[in-house]
Amino acid sequence: MNRPLTIAHFPRAILHVDADAFFAAVEQSRNPSLKGKPVITGKERGIVSSMSYEAKARGVTRAMRLHEVRKLCPDAVFLSSDYETYSLLSMRMFAIVRRFTPDVEEYSIDECFADITGMQRALQGSYEKIAERMKQTLDRELGFTFSLGLGPNKVIAKIGSKWKKPSGLTCIPGWEIHRYLAELSVDKLWGIGAQTAAYLAKHRVFTALEFARKPESWIRRYLTKPFVELWQELQGDSVLVLETCPKESYQSIQKFKIFSPPSQDRGFVFAQLSKNIENACMKARRYHLAAGGATCLLRTQDFRNTGLELRFTRPTAFSHEVIRALRPIFDELFHSNDFYRSTGVVLFNLKCDDIIQLTLFDPPVQIDKYQRVYRAVDDLRRRYGKHTVFLGSSFDAHAFTQHVGERGDAPERKSLLLKGETARKRLGLPMFLGTVK
Amino acid sequence: MATAAQFHKIVAFYDAHRRMPSYQEIMSLVRFRSKDSVFKLVNRLIDQGRIKKDKTGRLLPTRYFFAIPWLGSVVAGYPNPAEEELLDPISLEEFLVKNKESTYMLNVTGDSMIDAGIMPGDIVLVERREEAKHGEIVVAEVDGEWTLKRLCKRGRKVTLEAANKNYPPIEPKNELRIAAVVCSLIRKY
Repeated sequence: MNRPLTIAHFPRAILHVDADAFFAAVEQSRNPSLKGKPVITGKERGIVSSMSYEAKARGVTRAMRLHEVRKLCPDAVFLSSDYETYSLLSMRMFAIVRRFTPDVEEYSIDECFADITGMQRALQGSYEKIAERMKQTLDRELGFTFSLGLGPNKVIAKIGSKWKKPSGLTCIPGWEIHRYLAELSVDKLWGIGAQTAAYLAKHRVFTALEFARKPESWIRRYLTKPFVELWQELQGDSVLVLETCPKESYQSIQKFKIFSPPSQDRGFVFAQLSKNIENACMKARRYHLAAGGATCLLRTQDFRNTGLELRFTRPTAFSHEVIRALRPIFDELFHSNDFYRSTGVVLFNLKCDDIIQLTLFDPPVQIDKYQRVYRAVDDLRRRYGKHTVFLGSSFDAHAFTQHVGERGDAPERKSLLLKGETARKRLGLPMFLGTVK
Repeated sequence: MATAAQFHKIVAFYDAHRRMPSYQEIMSLVRFRSKDSVFKLVNRLIDQGRIKKDKTGRLLPTRYFFAIPWLGSVVAGYPNPAEEELLDPISLEEFLVKNKESTYMLNVTGDSMIDAGIMPGDIVLVERREEAKHGEIVVAEVDGEWTLKRLCKRGRKVTLEAANKNYPPIEPKNELRIAAVVCSLIRKY
């Protein structure tokens, strides 16, 4: 059982960098009055989107509703998410990692992979030393802590960064993988969820090591390709490559928005959907894509989802066409005795918008005209802000703030306009908050 | 052919081949008939800081080699001021911010640093750092609040001093936690 899975040390050296409680940590790092307190962000959504370690210790979990949090820890500080600052800090995190290596995959707002294979001489130190130096630089310059994992591939690196949190650095060379896997239950592996874990349990596979010790033929027989790749990575091979290029195309585009208080007003809920459609179409046009179909989704106050899917006769990214097509679906889904809390739209079957086959009944002249109209709309929005012009059907969603009452509180940075700044155009530097004596 | 035009030929060669030309290649680029004239041209360009040589004598581009418009050489007398200005302009942001990743803004509210020229309403740019030198203006954390003071180190004793006689110096009881050091000040009228 103590046989190593591989005898290699670091055939490749992949780092996984993960910010600890990112949003809450950003808030604590720029306002000392929040230090040591249970801080929770996501006030505007009504559910926890990030919580500080103090809150975690009290049993607060992600996606918990705020009134439940209040019962658990009455002294919790609730903050509205300040995505502007979070993305600034996220970009800084990636920039610092790029000082060490150009091969960086921005995996999410607070996580990235970095390939430091072969960098020992250039950076004057072993892989472990490089990782240590990267962690110190991140901690010092950004003012909150990060957890790093070093391994021969992405899966092992991710196990490493999760191993000791917060502020940990775990290096797992190939010949030590089996020791870590033995202590890890199989559902903690990247890509294995509750369903797969339950399925594996039926085959008497409980720990990650038991999974890794199965022969490859067994994995291929009982599981699908992603799990084969996962299995190969657990053997110490590097098969999942780093995606170092920023996204230039999309499989699907989705826009969801919660509003409060929940509403049963048909016109208002439809206006919310219409606004989401306009935003999704705008994004599609920005990437020169057109959608072959769309899904309309409604969520009620008690978190029940309903949705229907529709295919278009011709790919389109014109908001008014999508709205017109989805209107009957919306009427079918909407029940006037339910209260709704969010709407959403997913555009799928995206194709490049310059090779669109017109159907027999499409008037080409009119389509050309709409293309010009939308180009003008997009230009206006780029110059004067996203919501400068919108369709009449979205009016009710623009006429009111997204959230009424306490949840509508804007993040503090939004109310601190410097001279010369506007609501949209602001200095790209994060700001220390709180009182200054 | 003026030096400027010859230089542009070398730049064009670099753009096309992603490397610097050899002396032989420069010779045919600028239609010189001897390598000695190439040598003189190269030395002229080195003096102007546009190219440099590595240890083995091969040519390398410098930072002034790229994308800097060159108006031509000055005939005589006063140097052309416009040309001087164009050499390496930096943006206001580069001027004010040293390390982009660790710089934050702070809105000044109090008047405790007024004698150091920091007024309420000013914006200071600060660099996140835990160590500071004597005399630097720092942002420190005192009782859950930021405070902007000058750091004074006398022997082992560390105090935070205000630049306003109405404020007494702060002597931290436990450890002093410095969050950042002021690197520039912005005031907009």
